[in-house]
Amino acid sequence: MCEECGCANRKILHVNKAVLAANDAMAGLNRKRIEAMGAVAINLMSSPGSGKTTLLEKTIDLVGDSLKIGVIEGDIETDRDAARIRARGIPAVQLTTGGACHLDAPLVHRGLYELEVQTPCGLDIIFIENVGNLVCPASFSLGEHKRVVLLSVPEGSDKPAKYPRAFMGSQVFVITKTDLMPYFDFSLAEAEKEALRLNPRLNILCLSSVNGDGMDGWIDYLNKLVNSPARTRARVVA
Amino acid sequence: MHELSLAQALIDEVLRLSAEHGAKKVLRVDVMIGAFSGVVQDSFRFCFETLASACESTVDTALMIETPPVSYLCIGCGHAFKADKDMRVVICPSCHGGELFPQGGDELLLVRIEME
Ligand SMILES: Nc1nc2c(ncn2[C@@H]2O[C@H](COP(=O)(O)OP(=O)(O)OP(=O)(O)O)[C@@H](O)[C@H]2O)c(=O)[nH]1
Ligand SMILES: [Mg+2]
Ligand SMILES: [Zn+2]
Repeated sequence: MCEECGCANRKILHVNKAVLAANDAMAGLNRKRIEAMGAVAINLMSSPGSGKTTLLEKTIDLVGDSLKIGVIEGDIETDRDAARIRARGIPAVQLTTGGACHLDAPLVHRGLYELEVQTPCGLDIIFIENVGNLVCPASFSLGEHKRVVLLSVPEGSDKPAKYPRAFMGSQVFVITKTDLMPYFDFSLAEAEKEALRLNPRLNILCLSSVNGDGMDGWIDYLNKLVNSPARTRARVVA
Repeated sequence: MHELSLAQALIDEVLRLSAEHGAKKVLRVDVMIGAFSGVVQDSFRFCFETLASACESTVDTALMIETPPVSYLCIGCGHAFKADKDMRVVICPSCHGGELFPQGGDELLLVRIEME
């Protein structure tokens, strides 16, 4: 034992645990809560202005009464996005992060509680629109069942290669604003190739919320998700 | 700037564990940050040091960051291999196919704490 330098008092802990373990644990609780509400949750991620809220508005118009939708909106400031959703008669909770560039599981936990109060009869789908940012939200699990990353045509087809994490961690990649294809040099082949190189299992959809092209594929995806056998089982258990 | 939230989560956990073990000082913290974790290491280090300096037990803590090599699985031939320096491999060294599935690379782990 060494007396001089005090190394006998040193303690080494082998932790090997996620830095975000506390967030992940809360995400697990959120997932249980979402399933108890009878719903699947989708985390929508993209840069600011890629068309997340517009896609939700269009989706609400198209599904009508066939699916019960609830929305949690994440923004740094204002409740404008939640107001846009409520204007369509759909329950929406606004979370403001007050500066943070991403939603985290504790914040969504509060949002779920508020949403639950507004929807005593349960929901089919809960959309969680993350803060507009293609980088930071990808590190934080919220308890969602699926992650959907959006990229709009004006942003450019090199973005999957430049912002890999959001594409690696998602199940669906939606290319939005395809009505603008004639005016931009967006290469669908490049965007698809780069995204699949990062994540070969990625499901890629192309659509325009303005002219409605490709919306059928998106709605079809949502219907399949809601009616998936795993979810039906979860509902019976819940 | 989610690096600040991540550094805060790390400091919280380090302080919790050092208190639990009755340590007065945290000498060294080792973390593993994957190449595809979306974390800017310099920024993460800056945030960690800023937060650590506000706390008596962590003023002098050394932060060690390790980036493990990314593994790839070739969809064409099933060959699994580790990328050495360049994390972005595009061609399978075995069959020269281009359909490669990255495995891991998104690590963000607290590996080890040294305290007294
Ligand atoms: N041309 C065209 N414009 C669109 C489309 N979808 C959305 N926009 C426009 O893009 C702008 C931004 O759309 P939002 O839906 O607010 O984008 P967002 O991703 O919710 O933005 P943040 O919440 O601020 O991150 C609006 O002016 C929309 O009208 C589309 O399919 N085609
Ligand atoms: Mg929005
Ligand atoms: Zn191969």
